[in-house]
Amino acid sequence: MVYTGEHLVIGQVGNLFVILSFVFALLAGISYFFAAKDNDAAPSWKRIARISFRIHGLSVIGIVISLFIMLQNHYFEFEYVWHHSSREMPMRYILSCFWEGQEGSFLLWTFWHVVIGFILQRSAKNWEAPVMAVISLVQAFLASMMLGVFILEHRIGSNPFTVLLREHPDFANIPLFSNPQYLEKLDGRGLNPLLQNYWMTIHPPTLFLGFALTVVPFAYAIAGLWKKNFTEWIKPALPWTFFGVMVLGTGVLMGGAWAYEALSFGGFWAWDPVENASLVPWLTLVGSAHLMLINRNNGQSLFITFFLALLSFLLILYSTFLTRSGILGETSVHAFTDLGMSGQLLIYLFFFLILSIILIVINWKHFPKQKEEEGIWSREFWMFVGAIVLLVSSFQIIFYTSMPVWNKLFSLNKAPAKDVINFYNSWQLPFAFLTTLLIAAGQYLKYKNTDIKIFVKKISLSFLTALVLTLLAAYLLGFAKPFYALLFFSSIFAVTANLDYMLRVLKGNVKKAGASIAHIGFGLILLGALISTSKKDTISQNTSGKNIESLMDKFSNNDNILLTQGDTLPMGKYFVSYIGKRFEGVNVYFNVDYFSKNAAKGYKKEFSLSPIVQTNPKMGNVAEPDTRHFLTFDVYTHVTYAAIDNLQEKKTGSNDEYTPAKNYTLKRGDTIFASNAIIVFDSLSTRFDKTKFNLAAEDISVMAHLRVLDVSKKYEAAPLYVIHNNTLQPVPAVIKELGLQFVFQKIHTEDGRIDITLQEKKANVRDFIVMQAMVFPYINVLWIGCIIMIIGSVLAIVERIRKGRISAVKLLSSEKKIEL
Amino acid sequence: MKKIHIIGIIIIAVSIGAILTTLNNTSTYASFTEAAQSPGSEFHVVGKLNKEKESTYDPKINANLFSFFMVDNKGTERKVILNKNKPQDFERSEQIVLIGKMKGEEFIASDILMKCPSKYNDGKPQETAVK
Repeated sequence: MVYTGEHLVIGQVGNLFVILSFVFALLAGISYFFAAKDNDAAPSWKRIARISFRIHGLSVIGIVISLFIMLQNHYFEFEYVWHHSSREMPMRYILSCFWEGQEGSFLLWTFWHVVIGFILQRSAKNWEAPVMAVISLVQAFLASMMLGVFILEHRIGSNPFTVLLREHPDFANIPLFSNPQYLEKLDGRGLNPLLQNYWMTIHPPTLFLGFALTVVPFAYAIAGLWKKNFTEWIKPALPWTFFGVMVLGTGVLMGGAWAYEALSFGGFWAWDPVENASLVPWLTLVGSAHLMLINRNNGQSLFITFFLALLSFLLILYSTFLTRSGILGETSVHAFTDLGMSGQLLIYLFFFLILSIILIVINWKHFPKQKEEEGIWSREFWMFVGAIVLLVSSFQIIFYTSMPVWNKLFSLNKAPAKDVINFYNSWQLPFAFLTTLLIAAGQYLKYKNTDIKIFVKKISLSFLTALVLTLLAAYLLGFAKPFYALLFFSSIFAVTANLDYMLRVLKGNVKKAGASIAHIGFGLILLGALISTSKKDTISQNTSGKNIESLMDKFSNNDNILLTQGDTLPMGKYFVSYIGKRFEGVNVYFNVDYFSKNAAKGYKKEFSLSPIVQTNPKMGNVAEPDTRHFLTFDVYTHVTYAAIDNLQEKKTGSNDEYTPAKNYTLKRGDTIFASNAIIVFDSLSTRFDKTKFNLAAEDISVMAHLRVLDVSKKYEAAPLYVIHNNTLQPVPAVIKELGLQFVFQKIHTEDGRIDITLQEKKANVRDFIVMQAMVFPYINVLWIGCIIMIIGSVLAIVERIRKGRISAVKLLSSEKKIEL
Repeated sequence: MKKIHIIGIIIIAVSIGAILTTLNNTSTYASFTEAAQSPGSEFHVVGKLNKEKESTYDPKINANLFSFFMVDNKGTERKVILNKNKPQDFERSEQIVLIGKMKGEEFIASDILMKCPSKYNDGKPQETAVK
């Protein structure tokens, strides 16, 4: 069959770029390998290598452009485009479509490697050949992830350019494809609504740049081992490593910000496996960067420096395996589905793991022996301890996160505990405490040895300030657990000590204070996280007055509040009112007003929030929170339940009509609920004035006494059960004020229960939402900390590059002054 | 090298601690029948929603109470009482993981994880009205 309207050429072009990128990455790797050997042929190998890597890089850029063109023009004949985009989706999310799928995110990663490679080609000088050999090899592996070719019936990679929708095995025999003009009738599946958020356009590129940057210390470390040049690689690798720390850290925190702003689990960190998978390499990278600093200054702890530099990249590979192989399955909500590439990912991981191990083992004997033990009061010793703390902390996280892997390996059947967050916190808080203490003290310690008297004298001011602030906070805020107070102290100590160091020791020289500023930022991040998490207050309790304990006394977990349109209910220090909803495209906004109450002036509107439910018939509805930010706290709101299905059918029929009858079987004392009242069945009686109802003497009649309570008043309803001439002719009872009608339908003679049907006026049935609201105090401390940490890191990196240039000119001995 | 040794011993001790507590602080995947055998302990039960039977959520009575029937992977069906609001798009779920305990004939779930086919790879190409 000849299909019309397809754009297969762009696919062929894209595919050509895929093949070129793979072939030339391989070629670059091989020629850089020979270029790194010292012989006469090296310069010509290097020329070939450089050109090959450039062709590889340009091909990757070609792949990116081709994929963009396909997405931009809605070429749904390609499975990737159909799968990840749709016509109605706003164009600003096209970037999110690009990296929603595995192929696109691999591409993003590869792209950053290319950028890094281009820079290293110009700046790495003597190190270019061995370092680029490693990076080219990494690129060859990554490029193979996109090949999509079959070798011995195994598919290698997944190629967005060659998989056509109509040829996809899942969609065989779909009648649509028997139509040659099927494209005219096709729309894409669309982007996951969770990803239709501005954070999703900046978080992935940042995170993947962070991932990509770990390859630099890895490549330098491999090159150092390979060329048996055990210490000199550290100097050029150091600024890259700190840059990686900064970018990866930012990426991880952006993920937290996205979760906080767009996801509805109520917080910025949930110890989700996917979050952990990027946090752990960051921790080891931080440790690695600091060990490199030690090494630059005294050449010690060489093995562990190599170990951590190699480990960070290997952990990135392991994380990639965890999140993309489908192994996390039930434990994570946002892992990718398996694309059948887990085997390939494992080969990738094991190749570089074994390469690292072999190189370390064969060089083991050649490592320079440590001359003397570090002094107990030396900076290098405590930095070393800090790196170890980070290593152990990351081990704990990754071990628990890897539970599904242990299950597979050892045929276990373990599921994560219910309160995962608490478990992680109880382990990680002590590590955070130690780390922040070391951050506080670190800069006051000197390399080699510190005069302890001077140390105590210098640091005591910050120590006392931190102590006073902690006591003040304990008095004002209160801490649920004593350990929180300890962590509060150590975090604030990290802030005061580094601030003091910057002001008094560095005399406010901002250029040199990069490290201090970054450490202040880190202290603030932990401080903000600690306060906002431990003092998080779920203010939405069910205060509607309709929660009957007798029904569900076993449940006390009332995190949700039911808001009926028009009612105003107390919630925390506010009063809230659900005003109504409005529709905007696929989004339904639920407008909720917050009031404060003042004895003199009554209610005063403070602010409105509009949490969203995004309707998506193809992929399911998604709730998106809305948060009001104040300087000292945030009010976070999201809709947990709304009768979305009935949204459209509102306002059909007159409000004066009754809703369909609802039947209830009641025994004495039972309670039922109408939209505006609570009804209690009190008793039955037979003695009443029958003439009032025009009943004949022989009629059988029973009266039910119902107590009807609304918010302010009490009513009485008395429907009659009447048998007249052997037929049921009940007399309904109506409460006009409430628009309720009761009909007495049946008496269960065996146990005295009765059947009552209840009808309500349509006007009664008001719209309602179930909502959750939380207050996060001082969460801004965390975000400010992020920004300060980034600024500090930039300053430190700039200073390090500048000093690196100067010291390249000066003699080696003058380098000892460099302290980051 | 003494300090190195001390640090080494501390690392090993803490790591063993991490491993042991990790292994202890877990729940187990089980079926309803297995969960019923030890009613006090917490389990993860994987299964599917029985769409034929009625699920009840009346937020006006209790916004934190939702009940439905689930068939576990061994084919046993139990009534589930979830101490939470009804999750969005519950009916679309392909697979459910419940976390909770058995109490009599009912499973009292404190948390729920749903796998919606929709979220990541649902849907087949369909004819749609495209202008």
